[in-house]
Amino acid sequence: MRIDATDVRKTYGDVTALDGLSLSVPSGSTFGIIGTNGAGKSTLFRLLVGHDRPDAGSVSVGGTDVTEDGRRVRERVGYLPEHVGFPDGLTGWEVLGVHRAIRGLPTDGRIADAIERVGLTPAEADRRVSGYSNGMGRRLGLATVLLPDPDVLVLDEPTAGLDPRGVDEFHAIVEEIAAETDATVVFCSHVLGEVERLCDRAAVLHDGRVRAAGPVDELAAADPLAGRDGEAATGSGRERDGLRAAFREAVGDDAARRGEVDAEEVAP
Amino acid sequence: MSDPSERSGKEAGNTRPDGGHPDAAAAVGTLDREPDGGPAESTATAATADAVETETNDGARDALRQVFVVAVTEYRLAVRSRWALALTGLFVVFGGVMLTFSGSAVGPGGAERVVASLTSLAAYLVPLAALALGYDAIVGREDEGWLAVVFSLPVRRSEVVVGTYLGRLAVLAGATLLGFGFSGALIVREFGVGSLSAFLGFLGGTVAVGAAFLGVALLLSTVAREKTHALGAALLAWVWFVLVHDLLALGVVAAFELPDAALSALVYANPVSAFRVLVLSGLGTTAGGGFTAVLAGSGLSAGSLSLALVAWCLVPVAVAGVLVRRRRL
Repeated sequence: MRIDATDVRKTYGDVTALDGLSLSVPSGSTFGIIGTNGAGKSTLFRLLVGHDRPDAGSVSVGGTDVTEDGRRVRERVGYLPEHVGFPDGLTGWEVLGVHRAIRGLPTDGRIADAIERVGLTPAEADRRVSGYSNGMGRRLGLATVLLPDPDVLVLDEPTAGLDPRGVDEFHAIVEEIAAETDATVVFCSHVLGEVERLCDRAAVLHDGRVRAAGPVDELAAADPLAGRDGEAATGSGRERDGLRAAFREAVGDDAARRGEVDAEEVAP
Repeated sequence: MSDPSERSGKEAGNTRPDGGHPDAAAAVGTLDREPDGGPAESTATAATADAVETETNDGARDALRQVFVVAVTEYRLAVRSRWALALTGLFVVFGGVMLTFSGSAVGPGGAERVVASLTSLAAYLVPLAALALGYDAIVGREDEGWLAVVFSLPVRRSEVVVGTYLGRLAVLAGATLLGFGFSGALIVREFGVGSLSAFLGFLGGTVAVGAAFLGVALLLSTVAREKTHALGAALLAWVWFVLVHDLLALGVVAAFELPDAALSALVYANPVSAFRVLVLSGLGTTAGGGFTAVLAGSGLSAGSLSLALVAWCLVPVAVAGVLVRRRRL
């Protein structure tokens, strides 16, 4: 399912979160959005699921304008917010039960499947979420997103707070979705290596605008630093450097440095 | 606690397409019928009168189901956090103490005197309990991160608000019926079955005034940006409605010759006053004193007072349902 954002503007008081952003995500693609803090990633995602309305421009998912019919869009979209949380008094199993019931999904074992898929054990799912670690909460959040087999997955910093095993499992889930379904996956990340590994397309956001977008291999190939030091660039190391260089070029050295630090520290 | 139906289905390898949910097949079928990119077009081309009617019915059913799911979840959470137990215990204890020490030199005798004392107690206690139960209904769920999760589901925000209200109302009403029901049992034992009608009138009014203040709490919770703001506003609301308004109205009535319409307006403007007048006028007493005593002869009917209480329940919830759409997550 295709996603289109056209000339979108969104301000909060004096802060311009999105400044004429235009972006197209092809149906079935795995799309990574890279940007420094405050680039507008989370605002874009909130607009995608109708949590907010753009001041100008339009956002549509599968041809449906989110502002006009957000409910219909949300039927097809699984959204994992950056700060996901659940009532302490519910078990993981019950959280998923609430999701299933609100969505009107059948009782066909999909909850157990979702729990298994994100790496939670049945015993963990039976515990109240008040006892969950941050990583377990993220896994449960991911399970809620996977539950309806959505046409579009919108994941805001999905690996934040996950341990290395959780990150690997998340990568495996996204790769499985890309390989076996037609779902469109959009996620944002500070980890450039993650975007390179999982995404076929990416966009770099900065100051509320798209500074670069396209197939990941093309962005990486456009590396202005490639070959500068005379070394042969090979394998994933070359690609990671390429995307990082593209990121640096798109957002400027100072802003990119923050992203690079994140990438160095968090990349698996 | 896990979901038994889900588990049994999984364990048995059961993949029923319609599952155990009566609306599941319709909901899934609706999604299946809509092609990518063109739901509006397909709807337009297939828009016969029957289809439109079916869609409307499905939409209403979906809305009811979603309100019910939210309400059950809220009820479950309130019970597990021991709100239900605490409120029931509070009403049992205070009701019991009131029965033990009730009595008034100016009130009627027998069961009516006891019910009048209970009314005075409930006028202070139940609004406070309702405000405490409801002040974090929306803002608290946002703090948890749950509101962002629920609002990303295909459910209207107003439905979440209504479901939240109904779930918490079930807890409050249950605690009121059980807690004050204990007092009612003692009254019947002491004064016989003939005292039941007076007590039931009190019980109905108590549930209504609780529902009204729960609605007010929900509205405050929807407007507030932080839980502490909501709590402060709830306490101010209690002070205004329970303590200040009655005194202020009494002063106004004493100072000016007000027409009946103005008197009525003063009563309708405060659910506690409406509750007191409704219950005490049913007992044939003004034992509550204060503004209520002044209003004894104002001719307000039980019907209009009941309607005022119902309005105090519905209007805040409706306003909250509208305002929650503007809430930024």
